[in-house]
Amino acid sequence: MDFKDYYQLLGVSEDSDSKDIKTAYRKLARKYHPDMNPDPGAEDKFKEVAEAYEVLKDAGRRAEYDELRQHGNRQGAGFEPPPNWQRSGGFSDADSTRFEGDFSDFFNSMFRGGATEADQQPKGSRGQDAEIEMPIFLEETVTETSKLVEYQIPVYENGQVKDVKKSLKVKIPAGTVDGERVRLKGQGGYGQGDGPHGDLYLHIRLVPHPLFDVEGHNLVITVPLAPWEAALGAKVTVPTLTGKIHLTIAPNSQAGTRLRIKGKGMKTKTGTGDMFALLKIVVPSSANDEVKALWQSLAEKAEFDPRAQWSNE
Amino acid sequence: MTEIILWVSVQELCQCGGFTEQIIVEAVDHGIAQPADGDNITDWVFDTTTVHWLRKAVRLHYDLEIDWIAISMVVDLLQKNEVLEQQSRRFEQQLNRFIN
Repeated sequence: MDFKDYYQLLGVSEDSDSKDIKTAYRKLARKYHPDMNPDPGAEDKFKEVAEAYEVLKDAGRRAEYDELRQHGNRQGAGFEPPPNWQRSGGFSDADSTRFEGDFSDFFNSMFRGGATEADQQPKGSRGQDAEIEMPIFLEETVTETSKLVEYQIPVYENGQVKDVKKSLKVKIPAGTVDGERVRLKGQGGYGQGDGPHGDLYLHIRLVPHPLFDVEGHNLVITVPLAPWEAALGAKVTVPTLTGKIHLTIAPNSQAGTRLRIKGKGMKTKTGTGDMFALLKIVVPSSANDEVKALWQSLAEKAEFDPRAQWSNE
Repeated sequence: MTEIILWVSVQELCQCGGFTEQIIVEAVDHGIAQPADGDNITDWVFDTTTVHWLRKAVRLHYDLEIDWIAISMVVDLLQKNEVLEQQSRRFEQQLNRFIN
């Protein structure tokens, strides 16, 4: 077990007063708190900082730690508490920060009489909740779908933490939307003793679709049109989530126009959204001489200035 | 097949650890959590997304030692940020379809 220098972790000196320690903790906590900092590694860093603060903020615990620190410094890298070490300051789980409360072995050996975290859990305590990201395809939201979920949860066994693989078949209700959380009762971390298991939360994430964009309960499909289709009007076949529809494009349609197709959006618990066809005009990337001549005669005959609004400025 | 539960009661929230009735009342008073149904605390039920934010709020309250008013602001901003990030991803995707 390595000796932890809590002063160093908080970036304060040995003779710092409680106000400096609090300020240093707050600064680091703000920086590394996993709810504020999504970087991998931030959570571990935060736990170290929280553990350091847990000890140094309390005068009694700090005095004990200072005493041990002298001992630890003499021993070098590997650290064992002195054989006659008796913790005097009380420490209960109720004092700990609520962020999972899992402290290092070093902390446990000092303040919890060498007990591991698993031993600390009161008999019959409930298992921890777990949350995992669950990617689903847009097509899967149309009807109730069953999905196989595979995940790992930490399990305490004989004082050791092991990751156990679990797999479940889950019914995803029709109308599930991006960002929704689905709760699976009793599928989270194992309880201690007779305690119930925690829950598993599935954080639903819609996989980006090759054709459709999602806006709330509405779908948007970008429809490419040839310049003459936009000018003359056209009938185009447009895919929907459940089939195909024919869409009439009015003559002289502009790029960026959104046409509403009622009831072809996403199914929700309260109804069905709409689909919007977003028009986009595409020009052929090359043209033969005959086509070029046609464009040329169009340019001469059509009295059209696309930058007319600039002439006023 | 696994049971999917969309609502969570106050009693269940308290069993999840870290929550007390007092905390839940504070969170509701400050608009951090809104019961999806129920007129008084014994009947309140919350949706699962609320549970997620409630858990975040409680962690911030204890870990950063900040009061409930500040937390309600932080949670509000985090939620707005999540919506904006989602919107920005969507617009970027739409723009790419339009340009390419």
